[in-house]
Amino acid sequence: MGVLIENLARLFSAIWGFVTPFALFHMAWSSLLGIIIGALPGLTATMGIALITTLTYKLPADLAILVLICVYVGAIYGGSRTAILINIPGTPANAATTLDGFPLAMQGLAGRAMGVATSGSVLGSLIGMIFLATIAPILGTYALKFQSFEFFWLAIFGIVISGHLTALEDPIKGWIAGFLGLLVSMVGQEGIHAYERFTYGTTELLGGFALIPAMVGAFGFAEVLSVMQSPPPKMAEAPRDSIFPKVADVLCYWRTIVRSGLIGTAIGIIPGVGEDIGAWVSYAAARRKSKEREKFGKGSIEGLMAAETGNNAVVPGAIIPALTLAIPGSAPAAVLLAAMFIHGLRPGPMIMVESPQFVYQVVAMVFFATLAILIYGVALSKILLKILAIPKTRLMPIVFVLCAIGSYAITNRTFDIWVMIGFGIAGYILRQMKYPMAPLVLGIILGDLMDKNLRRGLVLTDGDLTPFFTRPICLVLWLITFSSIVLSIDPLRHGLESLYHGLRSRIRPGRLKASR
Amino acid sequence: MARADFVTGWVLILLSLYVIVESWRMPRLEHLKVHPLSVPGIVPAFIGSVLLFFGIILVIRSIRRGGHRLGLTREGFRRIFDEPGNRRLLLTAFLCIGYAGFLIGTIPYWLATGLFVWVFIVLFERDRGTGFRVQKWRLVTAAILALISSGAVTLVFERLFLVTLP
Repeated sequence: MGVLIENLARLFSAIWGFVTPFALFHMAWSSLLGIIIGALPGLTATMGIALITTLTYKLPADLAILVLICVYVGAIYGGSRTAILINIPGTPANAATTLDGFPLAMQGLAGRAMGVATSGSVLGSLIGMIFLATIAPILGTYALKFQSFEFFWLAIFGIVISGHLTALEDPIKGWIAGFLGLLVSMVGQEGIHAYERFTYGTTELLGGFALIPAMVGAFGFAEVLSVMQSPPPKMAEAPRDSIFPKVADVLCYWRTIVRSGLIGTAIGIIPGVGEDIGAWVSYAAARRKSKEREKFGKGSIEGLMAAETGNNAVVPGAIIPALTLAIPGSAPAAVLLAAMFIHGLRPGPMIMVESPQFVYQVVAMVFFATLAILIYGVALSKILLKILAIPKTRLMPIVFVLCAIGSYAITNRTFDIWVMIGFGIAGYILRQMKYPMAPLVLGIILGDLMDKNLRRGLVLTDGDLTPFFTRPICLVLWLITFSSIVLSIDPLRHGLESLYHGLRSRIRPGRLKASR
Repeated sequence: MARADFVTGWVLILLSLYVIVESWRMPRLEHLKVHPLSVPGIVPAFIGSVLLFFGIILVIRSIRRGGHRLGLTREGFRRIFDEPGNRRLLLTAFLCIGYAGFLIGTIPYWLATGLFVWVFIVLFERDRGTGFRVQKWRLVTAAILALISSGAVTLVFERLFLVTLP
């Protein structure tokens, strides 16, 4: 009870700490910018956070993270506008929103659909926020027991599960993307003996590829290329009905909201599995449980509510492992994690020991961001429509200008501009060939963690691999990882099946003899 | 996609073989008496081996789907370059790389940025069917946008964030 009161006091103190004109000003502009970034097709949450990180270098750490979280929450919500009005998801997280949002708009109910999206997003964020406030401290304390063996498997588990779930049709491409990310992270001075790997004598590569230019390239420049390649979208029409969220919709579908919020948060916690998967799984679960299943895909309020609650609940969910294990739950959370490091914060297992107050500050940040999207969701629909009308031929050059200067500004090196260009082209090609970007980013982030912990673990056990496979958490992690791979690769699965049948047919006659 | 997978598979195999060989060639640091299992090459070799495994699977799978018959023809390449979307893509890549890779650092930043934004808008919004007055108005609009964006970015990064611009 004492701990609960202490934690609540920390939370209220964190919330109160942000009630200053300066913090409220930053919240206001960053949430609005997030919504605009999300609403503009081609600008994703990851790209937005990566670009805005470059604008926060001079801010104090807590305000910088506040700005980025407001952009994150705002962008995931903002994408619903485009999904409803022009049938194009503003961010990949809003792909499931188009299924029912656009049919509702076609029926003249665009305003109601926007209201449902607002209430779903707000409630999804709040449900995720409650779990962030309760799970993060527990996980943070529990993570202190993790040793090198667990961290090695967490990195591999993250890559494999993220690769699998972000490329469900062809998981091998997700795994390749993840391991390519790990390979990229091997470039530069390694953390144990300071040996320079794959640097070819260049001083620029000593510290490895800088994360922000790499991500600005993979999500910014690659996106600019994709957007310019595709034909311009149709113009949006202004909604004629009310855009105010209705209490009746919330009360009617409260079960769907709670379920989607829980699913979204859980998916957020899984490393590298982002908002889009959260929305799809919530949508599928809502459809399975719904009494109005036939309406799904034709303009179902319940379906729209599930998708929008699910994707926004992922946001706080994805921050949980980022804060407590330094393992991001989604691609935008990966950039957020990188930004935390840039601002001198040290997320990871020591967070509850070194700066427990920061965890509650992050909860407060999510709370304020949620409040902001509720206010903007009701107040700003018409202005957003005008912004949606900006032609991409005028927007994209400015986005690229920010990509270039943002990459340069971190360390004032033109080399980082080339890193951004290189990752942009590679990211574009990989995306065209259906390789997901989230595991790649996760790989870049987790490479160092995996590298140090595998080698430390091997030294600790003097080369004995047994603890890697027998410690309880390791056992669970490697079993899930291996079964995910084996069951997805046809020849391996067939081999396992024939082995199983062979063993069964051998055992059976033996048993029969024994029973006789 | 099978053909793309076939090529990607081979690229992965070659890349992973290179990584494994490079990892093998990394020093074992015996003179420092470090533990042989903490040597720098062990993790890149592990990653290289996993990528090699996936590369082989990708190649085998694409061969089964007929991806090894690449069927590269001059006509096919011409069709790719004739497609309007691909033309827009190449022009975007050319302009962006030209600006970020070569223009920045060669001429003053504000001028490079303004020039890039102006050329980008003018090239993508050009329309042969419209009259001279409309075209002239577009050129002016693009110039205003270029001036505003270049001025704003330069001001924000140089004065507010105290970045020494390239």
